[in-house]
Amino acid sequence: MEVIYITIGVSILVAVLFFAAFLKSLKSGQYEDTYTPSVRMLFDDELVKPTKNTKTNNKQ
Amino acid sequence: MEKEQFYYDNKIVKMFLWATILWGVVGMLVGLLVAFLFVAPGLLEFAGSDNAIPWLSFGRLRPLHTNAVIFAFVGNGAFMGIYYSTQRLLKARMFNDLLSRIHFWGWQLIIVAAAITLPLGFNSSKEYAELEWPIDIWVVLIWVVFGINLIGTILKRRQRHIYVAIWFYIATFITIAILYIFNNLALPVSGFKSYSVYAGVQDALIQWWYGHNAVAFFLTTPILGLMYYFVPKIANRPVYSYRLSIIHFWTLIFLYIWAGPHHLLYTALPEWAQNLGTVFSIMLIFPSWGGMINGLLTLRGVWDKVRETPELKFFVVAITGYGMTTFEGPLLSFKNLNAIGHYTDWIIGHVHIGTLSWNGFMIAGIVYWLATKLFKTELYSKKLANTHFLIGTIGILFYAIPLYIAGFTQAFMWNEFNPNGTLVYGNFLDTLTAIIPMYWMRAIGGSLYLTGFIIMAFNILMTAKKGSKVEDELAEAAPLKRISSGRATGEPFHSWLERRTVLFTILTTVAVLVGTLVEIVPMILVDSNVKTIESVKPYSPLELEGRDLYIREGCNNCHSQMIRPFRSEVARYSDNDPELYSKAGEFIYDRPFLWGSRRTGPDVHRIGGKYNDNWHFNHMLDPRSTSPGSIMPRYTWLIKNTLNASSIESKLKGLASLGHPYSEEEIANARQSIATQAAGIVENLRQDPEFVKNYGDQNMQEREIIAMIAYLQRLGTDIKAGRTAQN
Amino acid sequence: MDVCYHCGNDCEDNSLKIEQKYFCCNGCKTVFEILHQSELNCYYDFEKTPGSIPNDIKEKYGYLDHEEIIGKLTSFSDDTTSVVQLYIPTIHCSSCIWILENLHKLNDGIVTSTVNFPDKTVRFTYKNKAITLREVVELMSSIGYEPYISLDDTEGTKNKVDKTLIYQVSVAAFVFGNVMLLSFPEYFEVDEYWLNQYKYVFRGIMLVMSIPVVFFSARDYFVSAYKGITHRILNIDIPIALGIGVLFVRSVVEVAFDIGSGFFDSLTGLVFFLLLGKFFQKKTYNYLSFERDYKSYFPIAVTKINEDGEESIPLQNIKKRDRLLIRNEELIPVDCILISGNASIDYSFVTGEAVPVVKESGAKLFAGGKQTSGAIEIEVVETIAQSYLTQLWSNDVFAKKTTKSIKNLTDTISKYFTIAILSIATIAGIYWSFIDVRIAVNVVTAVLIIACPCALALSAPFALGNILRIFGLRKFYVKNADTVEHLAKIDAIVFDKTGTLTSTNNSKITYIGTELTADEQVILKCLLRASNHPLSRALYQYLPVDYKKLEVHNFEEVLGKGVAATVGEVSVKFGAATFVGADKARTNNTVIYIQLNGVVKGYYELRNEYRENVPLVFKALAKEYTLVVLSGDNDGEQVYLEKILPKGTQLIFNQKPEDKLNFIKRMQSDKRVLMIGDGLNDAGALMQSNVGISISEDINVFSPACDIIMDAKLFQKLPDYLRYAKKTVLIIKMSFGLSFSYNLVGMYFALTGQLTPVIAAILMPLSSITIVIFVTLCTNLLTKK
Repeated sequence: MEVIYITIGVSILVAVLFFAAFLKSLKSGQYEDTYTPSVRMLFDDELVKPTKNTKTNNKQ
Repeated sequence: MEKEQFYYDNKIVKMFLWATILWGVVGMLVGLLVAFLFVAPGLLEFAGSDNAIPWLSFGRLRPLHTNAVIFAFVGNGAFMGIYYSTQRLLKARMFNDLLSRIHFWGWQLIIVAAAITLPLGFNSSKEYAELEWPIDIWVVLIWVVFGINLIGTILKRRQRHIYVAIWFYIATFITIAILYIFNNLALPVSGFKSYSVYAGVQDALIQWWYGHNAVAFFLTTPILGLMYYFVPKIANRPVYSYRLSIIHFWTLIFLYIWAGPHHLLYTALPEWAQNLGTVFSIMLIFPSWGGMINGLLTLRGVWDKVRETPELKFFVVAITGYGMTTFEGPLLSFKNLNAIGHYTDWIIGHVHIGTLSWNGFMIAGIVYWLATKLFKTELYSKKLANTHFLIGTIGILFYAIPLYIAGFTQAFMWNEFNPNGTLVYGNFLDTLTAIIPMYWMRAIGGSLYLTGFIIMAFNILMTAKKGSKVEDELAEAAPLKRISSGRATGEPFHSWLERRTVLFTILTTVAVLVGTLVEIVPMILVDSNVKTIESVKPYSPLELEGRDLYIREGCNNCHSQMIRPFRSEVARYSDNDPELYSKAGEFIYDRPFLWGSRRTGPDVHRIGGKYNDNWHFNHMLDPRSTSPGSIMPRYTWLIKNTLNASSIESKLKGLASLGHPYSEEEIANARQSIATQAAGIVENLRQDPEFVKNYGDQNMQEREIIAMIAYLQRLGTDIKAGRTAQN
Repeated sequence: MDVCYHCGNDCEDNSLKIEQKYFCCNGCKTVFEILHQSELNCYYDFEKTPGSIPNDIKEKYGYLDHEEIIGKLTSFSDDTTSVVQLYIPTIHCSSCIWILENLHKLNDGIVTSTVNFPDKTVRFTYKNKAITLREVVELMSSIGYEPYISLDDTEGTKNKVDKTLIYQVSVAAFVFGNVMLLSFPEYFEVDEYWLNQYKYVFRGIMLVMSIPVVFFSARDYFVSAYKGITHRILNIDIPIALGIGVLFVRSVVEVAFDIGSGFFDSLTGLVFFLLLGKFFQKKTYNYLSFERDYKSYFPIAVTKINEDGEESIPLQNIKKRDRLLIRNEELIPVDCILISGNASIDYSFVTGEAVPVVKESGAKLFAGGKQTSGAIEIEVVETIAQSYLTQLWSNDVFAKKTTKSIKNLTDTISKYFTIAILSIATIAGIYWSFIDVRIAVNVVTAVLIIACPCALALSAPFALGNILRIFGLRKFYVKNADTVEHLAKIDAIVFDKTGTLTSTNNSKITYIGTELTADEQVILKCLLRASNHPLSRALYQYLPVDYKKLEVHNFEEVLGKGVAATVGEVSVKFGAATFVGADKARTNNTVIYIQLNGVVKGYYELRNEYRENVPLVFKALAKEYTLVVLSGDNDGEQVYLEKILPKGTQLIFNQKPEDKLNFIKRMQSDKRVLMIGDGLNDAGALMQSNVGISISEDINVFSPACDIIMDAKLFQKLPDYLRYAKKTVLIIKMSFGLSFSYNLVGMYFALTGQLTPVIAAILMPLSSITIVIFVTLCTNLLTKK
C-alpha cells in the first residue's frame, strides 16, 4: 500500500500548489472586485467594422 | 504602452468544433452499437457464428466507446470552448499558433491511434486509461503542448483579472497532467505491452484516484469553466454570483482530489481509506450544488429568453443534469447505498446522466452558439435545434430511467435468499435475462440521443455553408504594464517576516513532499511489502499469457474479480465460505489489477476449479451452449489463434524487476513451462470425445484458448491451496 | 412627454433631439454626441438610459494641474505612464462599466481603465505626456462621470486594506482541511496493519503543516497575550495563547517520541474557528466606515485670489489673510470673513439645520458650511488647524478615544476564567504528580488544552457581530461591538432638541398676516416653481392650490435675498424682510415675507416640527432611564415640551456645544449616559457620552464623532434597539454558560487523564460550532418580532 504515499503526496503537492496560487492571486488583488469581471466578460471587444480599425491607426 | 491590435484565432476553434461533431457521432455510434450487443449478442457475427470478428467484440469496443466520447468528443468540445473563451477573456490570441495546431492534430492523432489500437486489443485494462504506453507518452506530450499554450496565453494577457473560467482551465491542465502520469506509470515489456508499476490493491487505488479525478477534472472542471463563460454570455447577463463562482472553484479543487476511494468501497482497500473517500465525496455536494445553483440562477428572470433560445434550453437541462449527478455521487458514496449500487447498471445510468446531459448538452449548446459566431450568420434552423433538444432530452430519460430500474432489479435479485439459506437466483443468468427489456429501452434512448446529435451535425453543416468565410476577428487592447507590484495593486506593506512565513511554509512542505516521494517511489518499484498470504504465488508463464489475453479481450469490462464481504457474494461466488471474500494479499501479483467495475457477467475471482477445462473451452466457443441466455460474445478466435508467447521472457524479466519472484532459471525455461502446462490442459480436454472429434487432429496445445483456460483455472485458487496445506 | 435617451429623466419638451432620440438637456445631448462620434453607441445597448447629466465644471478642477496634488493622487507615475484611481459616484450599471473601460476609444492618451463596480472606482493608466490628470477628470465629467476627489484621497488612507487576517484565515483553513484528512484514518482504526506503516508520515506532515498555523495564523494571540501580561491584564487571549501553545508543544512531543498522534486536528481547527470569528467580526464592522473624518468632506484645493489672478492651492497651504474664491456648492474650508458676494450658507453638515443662513459682507463664516447662492470671496482669519470646526474636533474628548471603553464582558470574565484554569491545572498537576509524574504532565496539558476558551472567545464576536448586522439592516449603524455592550448598560439618555426631536425635513409652515385669496396663492405658486431655493421648494410643496400655468415675466432672483417677478399682471416679491420692505417679525424661526403689487401681505413662518413619536418614545423610555433634553435654543418651547413629555424629564435650554459637553461630563459621575444628537455642534457631547447616537436624515451625512448612526425615520424604534442591546448581552452570558458546560465535560476527561485526540477533536469544534449557532439563532429570534 505504499501507493498511498504517492496519492497523498501528490494530492498534497497539488493542493499546496493550488493554495500557493490562491495566495498569489489574493495578493495580486484578483479578488478585490468580485462583481465587475462578471459584467466585463459580457462585452464583445471585436472591432467588427474594418473601417474603424484604419481610423484608430490614423489616430495613433 | 501603445494599444495593440490583434486577431482572435477563430480557425482553431472551428477545427475543434468540427472534430467535436465528428467524434461525437463516432463515439456515440460505437456506444449505440455496444448497447445493441446487450440485446442482440450475435449482431456483429457477419462472418458466421464460427468466425467471430475479434475487433467487434464487446470487450474491445467498450473501451473504444468510453475513450471516444470522453477524450474525443468531450475533449475536443472542451478545447473548442477553451480556445474560444480564453482568447476573449484574456484579450489575447493564443500564445502560439503552431502549438495550437500541434495540439489539435496531435490530439486527433491520439484518437485515431486509440481507435486503431483498442479494437486490436492493445489495452492496459485501466478504465479511461486503456491506451498503451507509446500512446500514453504521446498523450502527455500533447497535453503539455496544450498547457504551454494555455499558460503562455495567460502570461501575455491584456486583461489583468483572470476570470474564473480560466482558473477552471488551469486546474484541468495541472491536475490531469499529474494524475495521468502517475496512473500510467508502467514498465514496457514489448512494443504495445506494459505492466503497471503498481500491483493489486495499490493499482486499484491509484486507478480510481485517477479514474474519479478524470471525471472530476476532465468531464467536470473544464465544462464548469465553459458554463461560467457561455451561460452568462449567451443569456447576456452576468453570472448570478461571481463571488460564489470563486468559492465554488476553490472548494471544488481542494475537495475533489480526495474522493477517489469511493469507487472501492467494500473492496480489499483498507477501511479507513474507504471512509476517507466517503467523507470527502459527501462534502463535495456543497461546491457542486453551489455551482449548479449559480449556473441556474444566472438564468433567473430571463426564462422568456430561455424559451426562445435553444442554446439556453440545452444549458438548463445540462446544469440540472450536473446537479443530479453530483447529488447521486455523494449518495452512492454512502457505504450502504454503494453496497447496493456498485457493479449494477445504476452506475451506468448515473454516469450517463452526467455525460449525456451535463457534457453532451453543454457542448451542444456551445456548438450552436459558436457556429453563429464563427460563421457570422444565423443558425440554419432553430427548429431543428429545438427538435434536437427535444429528442435528446427524451433520449436521456429513456436511457437513464430503465438503467436505474435495471440496477435495482439486479441488486435485489443478487441479494435475495431463500429461507433455507440458498440464493433465490442462484443462476446468475436469471438476473441478467430479467433486465434485457431495460437494455432494449436503453438502446432506444441511445438511438434517440444520437439522432438528435446527427440533426445538430446537419444543422451546423448547413449553417457553415451559408456563413461567411471570414476567419479571424480583430480586437484591440493595451498590453498590461508591469507595475512594481506593491504600489500597483494598492498593496499594504507586509513585514519581511510575514511574507516569508507563508513562502517558507510552502517551500518546506514542497521540499518535504518531494523528499518523501523520492524516497518512496523507488521502494514501490522495487519491493512491495503488502501483507502477504503465504500461499499466493506468481502466475506461471502460461497463466500469465492467459491473463494478458483476458486483458486483451477486455473481459474485465463485464466480469469483476472482487468478491465483497457480503453473504450474498460469498454464497454466489465462493461456495458459501464466509472467509473467502477477496483479500488484498491475493492480488500482489496482479499487474494491472482486474477488479472490474461492473458485473454484466458473474464475478470470476474464484472461478478456478469451479468448472472443468472442457466447460471453459465450450463456453468460449459458444457461451450459449453452456449457459443458455448468455449475452457473452463467442471467442472463436481464441481457439483458432496460435498463442504468441515470443515475449514471455521479457515479460517475466519485467515482472521480476518489479518484484515478482521469478528466478533466472524459471525465466530461461519459460517456454518449456508453457509447453508442459499446455500439454496437461490438452490432456484434460481430450477426455471429452466431442473435443477429440472436432479438434483431435489439430495442434491445440499452442492455441490461445489453452492459456486462457490455464489462467481461469488458476484464479482465486491460491488461498484455498494455502488452507488445505494448513489443514 | 418623452424620456431622455441618455439619462431617462422626463424631457420638459421635445426640442432637443437627434434621429428620433430625445434629450432632457443639452448636457445629455452633448454626451450622446461625444459617444456617437467615437462610435461608442454600444453604451446604450446594454442598459436603457444609462447616463447621468454631466455637471458644468468650468474651472473647478484647475487644482489638478498642481504637481503636488497630482503626485498625491496618482498611485504610480514614471516618465511616460501614470496610474490613478478615482472614485466616481455615478457608476451604476453595466453600461457604465462598458463605457468606462472603453475610454481609450475616446482619448488615445488613456491606455487602460479598469472599473471596480462595487467600490465605484476606476483605475486609469494614462500616458502623462498625451493627457494630464486634469484632462482625464474633465473628460470623465464631460460624459457624466465626474469623479469625487477629496482630501482623504491625497492622504492615501483609503487603499490600506490590511489583508493579513485573510492570509491567516486562509492558511488556517487550508491546513485544517489537510490535517483533518490526515488524522481521519486514525479516528477509525488505530491498529490497522497499513496504517501503522505510515502513520509516521501522516503525523510528520501534520506537524510540518501546523507550524505556519501556530507561528503565522495564531501569531496575534501570542502577541496580545504577551501585551496583556506586560500590562498586568488577564485578557481572553492569555488562555487562548496558552491553549494553542500547549496543544502545539504537546503534539510535537507526542509525535517526536512516538507517544501518540498529537492534537494537530484540534489545534488547527481551533485556530481556524477563532480566526473565522475574528474575520466575521471585522467584516461586519467594516460595513460602515467610521474612520472617515471631516477631511473626507473637504475639498483638497481651493482657489486663491492673487493680485495677478487666480490660483489653485492645496488646502494645507491656506494661510491667514488669504483671499479665497468659494463657488456655488463649494464647502468653506476655514473660518473666514465674508468680503463680497451673497452668502447663503448651508450649515447642515455642521449643525444639521437644512435652512441656509444668509450673511452680510463682513460676517464671520465658519468652516464646514456650504455656499448655496453664487460665488463669494472670503478672507481667511484662521488657518485650517485653528478653525472652529477643527477646534471642536481636537477637544480632549476626541483624543482619548479608547479610554472611555470600559472593560468588555469577555475580558471581565476571562480574568476569572484564566485564574480558575491555572488553579485547576496546578492542583491537578500536584495531585497527579504524587501518583505518576507522566500522568501529571498529561493532565496539566490536557486541562490547558480543553480549557482553551475558543467557544468563549467566539460567542461575543458572533452574537455582537450578528446583532450589528441586524441593526445595520434596520438602519441603525453601530460603530463596534463594545458599543452594544455599553448600550446595554445605559441608565440616562440625553436628547438634543433641534434636528433630533424635531425633523428638518418636514417643517411646520404657518402663515401670519392678511389672508391670501386662492388666486393669490396660485400666483405665488407659479413664481415659487421657478425658483430653486430650498425655501421656495418647501413653500411650493406646502401651498395647497393646484398649479396653473401663468406667464412669468421679469423674473429676478437676488441671491440670498429673495425672488421678484411679474406673474400675469401682478408683481410679486417674496423673501427677506429688507427685500420686500417689511418689518422684521419677532421670532427665532425662518420667515418668508410676501409682497403683492407693492403691498406687504404677511409672512410664512417655518417652524421645525417635532417627530411624530416623540411622546411615545419618551414614555417608553421614562420607565427605565433618566431623560434629559438639552437645547441650544431659547426656552420658547418649554411649556409645549413639558406638556408632551413625561414628568421628570429635565429640560435645559440655551446650551452652547461646550455646555452640552460639560453637562454630560457632570452627569457621568453617577450615570452612564447615552447622548442622541445630530450634526457637529453636538460632536463634543456625543463623544463625551458613554454612547453617542447621531440621528441622520441622510445616512451619508453624519457626524463622525458618534458611536451609532441612526436613520431619523426610525426614531420610534429607539426603545426596541435599546432592548435588543440588553438582550444580546444576556444571550452572550447564556452562551458563556453553555461553553463553560462544555469545558466542564472536557475537564472531566482532562482531569482523569483520559483526553484522547479524538475526544478533543470532537469536543472542541463541537463547542465552537454550537456556540456560533446558538448565538446566531438567538439574536435572530430576538429581533424577529
